[in-house]
Amino acid sequence: MVLLLFLATGCVSSRVEQSREAVTGITASEAMVILGRASYNDHQTEESFTDCLSNILMKGATPIRLIPEQEFKDNLFPWFEPRTAPTSADELGRLFSQPGVQERINEANVRYLTWIDGDTVTVDKGGSMSCTISTFGGGCLGMSYWEQDASYEASIWDLDNLTTAGQISADANGTSYLAGLIVPIPILARPGNAACKGLAKQLRSFVIGG
Amino acid sequence: MGHFNHKTQLFMLLSAILLASCTTSVTVEGTVPTPLVVKIPATIGVHFSDEFKTFHYQEVLEDSGTWKVDLGEQNLTFFQNLFSSMFSAVEEVSELPFQEGEMQHLDGVLVPRIVKYGFLTPAISGLKFYSASIQYQILLYDHAGEVIGDWNILGYGKSEGGSFSADDALGDATMLAIRDGGARIAIEMSQQPQIIKWVQTIDSDLVEQELVEQEIVE
Repeated sequence: MVLLLFLATGCVSSRVEQSREAVTGITASEAMVILGRASYNDHQTEESFTDCLSNILMKGATPIRLIPEQEFKDNLFPWFEPRTAPTSADELGRLFSQPGVQERINEANVRYLTWIDGDTVTVDKGGSMSCTISTFGGGCLGMSYWEQDASYEASIWDLDNLTTAGQISADANGTSYLAGLIVPIPILARPGNAACKGLAKQLRSFVIGG
Repeated sequence: MGHFNHKTQLFMLLSAILLASCTTSVTVEGTVPTPLVVKIPATIGVHFSDEFKTFHYQEVLEDSGTWKVDLGEQNLTFFQNLFSSMFSAVEEVSELPFQEGEMQHLDGVLVPRIVKYGFLTPAISGLKFYSASIQYQILLYDHAGEVIGDWNILGYGKSEGGSFSADDALGDATMLAIRDGGARIAIEMSQQPQIIKWVQTIDSDLVEQELVEQEIVE
C-alpha cells in the first residue's frame, strides 16, 4: 500500500518557468480569455487542458473573470479561427484596425489574451500483461507502463498596450503503470493535470500583478 | 417454405441490426457566428442548390463500418448568415439559368457549391484527431448572367475524440471545417481582383445612373 501510494504520488515531476516583459495587473471588471492554439500539424492543445486552466482560474480566493473561448471566437469571427488568428502580439495593431474588433473587445472589457500552446504525448511505453478468463475464474498477470510528457506554454498578451506581457511554460513528466495482480491495478500519473495546476497557479499570480 | 422464410427473415433482421450497429451517423451542430467584416457595397443574389441545401456524405471504412455525415442544414444556415453579413443586401434566387428580369435589380449572383468532402479517423491518420475537409466553389455571375468570378476554398477542421464519441468528434471537426472555409470567404472575398473590379463597375454604374437622373431633372 505504501509502495502504491509512493508510486501514485511520486511519478510526476513538473517544472514551471516564467518570463515577464511588462508590469501586469487586472481589476475585478476586467476579463481574460484563454485560447488553445490549433495549428494544422499533428499537434493541437487539448480542449480539456484549457478547460482545466479555466476551471482553476475562475475559482479560488482571487478569481479571474474569464470569457469563454467559444463566445469570444464567435463574437470576433472570423478573426480568431485557427488559420486567421494573430500569431504574435505584433499583429494586434493590424487586427484592431479591422472595423468592429476594438469595439467588441472593449465591450467585453478583455484585458488579457492568453494563448496556450502545447500538448501531452506518450514518449515511451513497454511491459506486458495478459488476462485470461475461464470457467474456473480469471485474472491478469504482468505489468505495463507508459511515460507521458506534458509541455505547455502560455503567452500572455496585454490588449490595452497591444504587447506581449510575458510567457509561462509548464513541463511535467510522469510514468503510469498497470499492474496485473489477479485484478488489474492502475497507478496513473497525470502529467497533463500537474502541468495544468502548475501553469494555472503561475498564470494567476502573473496576471494579478507584479 | 414457411420455415425457410422465417429463417431468412431472422437472418435479414440480424443483418440489419448488425449493419445498423456498424453505422456512425454524424450530426453537424454548432454556433452560427456573424462575421465582423466590412460589407461589400452590392445587392447580391444567392442561389443555394438543392444539393448544397441537403449535402450529405457517406463512406464505408473497413475497420469502422459506414459513416454518414449530414452537413446540409448547418452548412446552409452558416452560409445564409455569412453572405447576409458580407453584402449590403442579399436575396435568395431561383435555380440556374436565372429567369429573365430576375437579375435586373441585382448586382450579381453567388452560387456556392460543395465540390468535395472528406474525413480521416485516428485509425487512418495515426493522430489523436478526427479531421474533416470541405472544398467549396463559389461562382459569381454578373447581372448579365456571365461568370465573372470562380474561387475554390478549402475548409479544414480537426477535433479530439475517443472511440465512444467518434460521431461527436467528426461532427465538431466538420463544423470547424465549415467555419474555416467561411472565415476565409469572409476575409478574402473582398480582396479578390475580380470582386474589386466588379465593385468598381457597380460604383461607376451608380455614378452613371445618377448623372442620367440629373440630366432628366434638368
